[in-house]
Amino acid sequence: MSDAPATPPAPPAAPPGSARLITAACALGLLGIGFSLAHFVWPGPLLFALFMIVGQGSFGLALLLYVIAIFTDLRRKKVL
Amino acid sequence: MSNEGLFSGSTENVMRWVSGAGILLGLAAAGILIVVLLRKPEWRVSAHAKWALLVGLLVLPGMTMLSGNVVGFHKVKNSCTQCHTMDRWVNDMRDPKSTTLVAKHFQNRWIPDDQCYTCHTGYGLAGNIQAKIGGLGHVTHEYVTGVPDVIKIHRPFNVDTCLHCHGESAKYLKIEQHVDAEMKPKILSGELSCFECHASPHPRKQP
Repeated sequence: MSDAPATPPAPPAAPPGSARLITAACALGLLGIGFSLAHFVWPGPLLFALFMIVGQGSFGLALLLYVIAIFTDLRRKKVL
Repeated sequence: MSNEGLFSGSTENVMRWVSGAGILLGLAAAGILIVVLLRKPEWRVSAHAKWALLVGLLVLPGMTMLSGNVVGFHKVKNSCTQCHTMDRWVNDMRDPKSTTLVAKHFQNRWIPDDQCYTCHTGYGLAGNIQAKIGGLGHVTHEYVTGVPDVIKIHRPFNVDTCLHCHGESAKYLKIEQHVDAEMKPKILSGELSCFECHASPHPRKQP
């Protein structure tokens, strides 16, 4: 029998919900970037309006989901 | 030395640089996001993924959105002339025979560029934000809700727009009414519109 110290218990695995949040955040981020790239290439009132409403809206939502995922992760690891 | 070229300080050139930077930053952010999406779900919730997303979802797209706002806002300043709704007003402005105030300002190059935007936007940051919100409303009318039958100014024309250039100029101060003790405060407060005495900037009846 060795006296090797016991390895600390691994933190609980991340729930699938967290992965889904990150996936949704990435998808929404891509949507927002898509609209911003489109309006860089074809500048015009319609694409600018879509960039302002849909593009920046989805980007904001992506950021929110990302923050929620991090917050959830920190809560799970009992940091918060 | 020419003012044109890759490194000229003209607004258009600066906007080209900002556009280019925005496209590069956007592509880099999209690349990071696609890589994260292509990895296994377990990796997506790892600390590595979170750090990658800090750059790919916060820093780079944030800068892309910022440059998008700067460029987009600059490019749509002359977009009033792109919708047929405004053709009648724009045609009057460009008509060499027209004697309306707006035509005079255009023909004499008193306002060299973005004439609609310059007069119909308040000065300062608040004016820009107001114009941005107003512009979104105009695009919604054009593409979604339909253009109203009667086109009219949303709110009374702000006297500061005229006074920004004309106020305190020698020619302005020579006019007795402009410096009259009773009328001056009314003019400055906007109680007395410039167009009470001066001709309407646009044709009175819809042209």
